[in-house]
Amino acid sequence: MKFECGDLDRALANSELFQEAREHLKTCAACRREYRLWNEISTNARELHEEWDTPELWPTIRQTLEAERKPERLWWQQGKMWAIAATLVIAAGLSFFFWRRNVPVATAPSTQTTADFLTEQALREVEKSEAVYRDSIDKLSQLAAPKLAATSSPVIASEKERLALLDSAIAETRANVASNRFNIRLQTALADLYRQKQETLRELLTTNTKNNDTKN
Amino acid sequence: MVWEIGLPLPFAASVHDHPTDAELSEACRRGNIRAFERLYQIHAPRMKSLAFHLLGSRADAEDSVQEAFLKVCRAARGFEGQSSFSTWVYRILINCCYDAIRKRQRLAESPVISDFRTESNVPLKVALQRALNLLNERQRMVFLLFEVEGLRHSEIATILEVPEGTSRSWLFEAKCQLKRLLTEAPK
Repeated sequence: MKFECGDLDRALANSELFQEAREHLKTCAACRREYRLWNEISTNARELHEEWDTPELWPTIRQTLEAERKPERLWWQQGKMWAIAATLVIAAGLSFFFWRRNVPVATAPSTQTTADFLTEQALREVEKSEAVYRDSIDKLSQLAAPKLAATSSPVIASEKERLALLDSAIAETRANVASNRFNIRLQTALADLYRQKQETLRELLTTNTKNNDTKN
Repeated sequence: MVWEIGLPLPFAASVHDHPTDAELSEACRRGNIRAFERLYQIHAPRMKSLAFHLLGSRADAEDSVQEAFLKVCRAARGFEGQSSFSTWVYRILINCCYDAIRKRQRLAESPVISDFRTESNVPLKVALQRALNLLNERQRMVFLLFEVEGLRHSEIATILEVPEGTSRSWLFEAKCQLKRLLTEAPK
């Protein structure tokens, strides 16, 4: 395609066509003038930017804005005062509420301490009683021991076996109680085992006494 | 991100450590008067120049810039951020200028620069200024925003609410028209 003067405008919009335009510009003075003018339009356009001082313009705008805002600010300031007052009242109310709420909470630790102390004290009393009970039963066991060793009757053998079972159960329950002192169920079970042992020993001793009375 | 609209160099230097478009728009939305002042400092020179070319008079240009800023300040709270804050400000200014032109037409005033005649002995800058008034509205607007005020096509497209390609096309049309006007033989 042969590039002609009329194609210059299209070439200015199309970079591909502009390669051909460059060759044409070398030989065509009229198009060169037009092309120079094209570039000068942009160069001169930047000089059209107008700058001048307007020292009063912003203060005027600011004054207008401030005048428009004044009623709003007064309302806002008034609103702010109400907001502060409301906040103070709410804060005072909440403080009072939590203070009242905290009064029993503040005494709770001492109550808890007392409760813990009482529980510990009660437990110690149970343990003390158990120890006394155990000693009593041991004394009964010592009294019954010669009879158990000497007698070979089936009844005595059965009682002896029962006492061995009870001793084993007592030992096991005591071990459990040692690891969980506050377990009431275990304490009750241990007391029940002691009671059974006591009953067994009492029956054993009573039986021997009855037997001796019968013989006499 | 710095201001989306490119600034003339002397001005850009003074803006270096200042808020981004988003930060400034947020401050303006909160009604911060200092933010509006900063907005004014950044954009007023270019806005005055643009208004001057649209209205043909410095006094009218100042009035339009003032009106535009007041509108921006009043409406900033409702700015939804769909475009950049700075392009929004320019759009408001252009609308203010069109309002002034319409008002002037209603009052049957003749345009300040109504007579154009190409003369072979006038400097190109003067001839160009006169030729600009013969362009149609859209061509003149794109030419002023791009070539005179240095905005990018992406920014112009946002301001005029047209595709970027349309902005480029209108600029090309404007320059072709100006070239034709400036090479025409004087009447």
